[in-house]
Amino acid sequence: MSSAVCFPSVDWFERLANAMRKEVERFQELGTTDCTMVVKVDLGALGTRIYEIGFEGFEITEIRELSSLEQAKASHFVVEGSLEAWREMIENIRRNGAPDLEHTLNYLTLPDVPLRVSGPDQLEIDAFYRYNETIQRFFNGAAGIATRYERVAI
Amino acid sequence: MSAYSPVVEEGLERMLAMVRGDFDLSWMDSNPTGWGHRVQPGASGLGLRDVDTGAYGVVPEYGSSHGSMAPRGCFVPADTPSLGMYDLNEKATVWSDNAAMLYDEAVTRQWNSVTDVPWHKLQKLPDDIEKAVCQMCTNFTEVEFVAGDMPAKWLCHINHDFHEVKLFLATQIMDEARHMDVFRKRALANGGGLLMASPGNEALLAAILQAPNYTTASALMHIFGEGFILTLFRAGEFLAPTEVEKTIFRLCMQDEARHVAYGVKHLQYFVARHPEMMEEIHHILGLGEEAIFRLTLEPQTLEPRAILAGKGVENIQLGMTRLAFLYNKQITEYLQRLKIAGIDRLPRMKIPAELPALGPEV
Ligand SMILES: [Fe+2]
Ligand SMILES: [Fe+2]
Repeated sequence: MSSAVCFPSVDWFERLANAMRKEVERFQELGTTDCTMVVKVDLGALGTRIYEIGFEGFEITEIRELSSLEQAKASHFVVEGSLEAWREMIENIRRNGAPDLEHTLNYLTLPDVPLRVSGPDQLEIDAFYRYNETIQRFFNGAAGIATRYERVAI
Repeated sequence: MSAYSPVVEEGLERMLAMVRGDFDLSWMDSNPTGWGHRVQPGASGLGLRDVDTGAYGVVPEYGSSHGSMAPRGCFVPADTPSLGMYDLNEKATVWSDNAAMLYDEAVTRQWNSVTDVPWHKLQKLPDDIEKAVCQMCTNFTEVEFVAGDMPAKWLCHINHDFHEVKLFLATQIMDEARHMDVFRKRALANGGGLLMASPGNEALLAAILQAPNYTTASALMHIFGEGFILTLFRAGEFLAPTEVEKTIFRLCMQDEARHVAYGVKHLQYFVARHPEMMEEIHHILGLGEEAIFRLTLEPQTLEPRAILAGKGVENIQLGMTRLAFLYNKQITEYLQRLKIAGIDRLPRMKIPAELPALGPEV
């Protein structure tokens, strides 16, 4: 039986939070982070999955699944893309231990494809830029997580 | 006749009196309402916002009239002399509700170009790519410290009661020092060097430094200039040929977003209280827009990015079309930030909101 964790799921993001806790000193070096990130994964005909991840100080304060974006905290930004785009990023991180030049969050989001950043207003979106190194390192924790993927209905 | 001036003589006498047990100690009870202050550190440490609570957290609409550097919340003796320097005494002219938060964040998010950039990962690059990186770094080295010079010019005008703003601006000066330094280092570190300065950029830098007051300078620099640079840092990370530039741009991007966040919230605070200044703000934004558009005429500004986007000078044309989206992104984000500040700029904008399609996207 595989011990791989399914992406996307609360459990998968909890694993990232655990990885972050294990190297809290490295995150302390990057400085405090105060933002709410919403991750939206497009599963094709199966709809979308939405997760809210709260960063405060040097910790993840909450991870929860949302049934719609309206449930998100007023202050947040959204990073969204197809499961395939997320899968490619995660697998790239897993292969290299960190993303290569063409799979960083900034690289994937700047042209709005394959991932896209949005938010209720520009300052919220700017938080993604303001804490980018921390958020990148948070996702780099995927290097140590055996991951399987939700199947996409065509 | 004494060898010392009267004030030194008086000081000596006072010290002798103290040795005899004649102490004053009135300072101990000088500020009874400010004594007994309790603080509660936050989860990540003791921030400025954690100590500036209660009466210490009250920021006056007009800074103290004594004009000294006496800290907000202490007892100020009547004979405290004014320094005669502070003329930004109205809170609205400098304030931003996120200044203390951004200061706390800035001090924990400092990095350095000596050890935080993986310089050992530098590698020999094709000549055209190295030249493009070096030219881009020359441009950034030239413009970055305007955002150090500008706050430095105004800091000694800002009333000392607005210490949150002064402290935040001090972090910005350090941030910009690091930006100037890291781009210079990158240009010189890999067998290349600095290339061509940008006369076109100087017009924008002059407009920032010569702005008639702090808020127009801030609107032009924090929102317009640094907002545009923020996108260019994101583009720098996107185009980076090695992990070295990638790291530099990501770290700079974070700092820049803090500076923009201060500017947006300051302009919002100011405009809500001084709607009569709207025209002056529109005017300076117009100057900035035209100045930055003139940069498109400078090959040393646009061409390096087009070479990096095309992954070589032979594909520079292709690179140019690949980058067209950047301008549109810069303008969209600029207008959205101004909207938060309460300014509808689109109808007044002096440059196109979108570039015409430059060619097929490849
Ligand atoms: Fe900068
Ligand atoms: Fe800046």
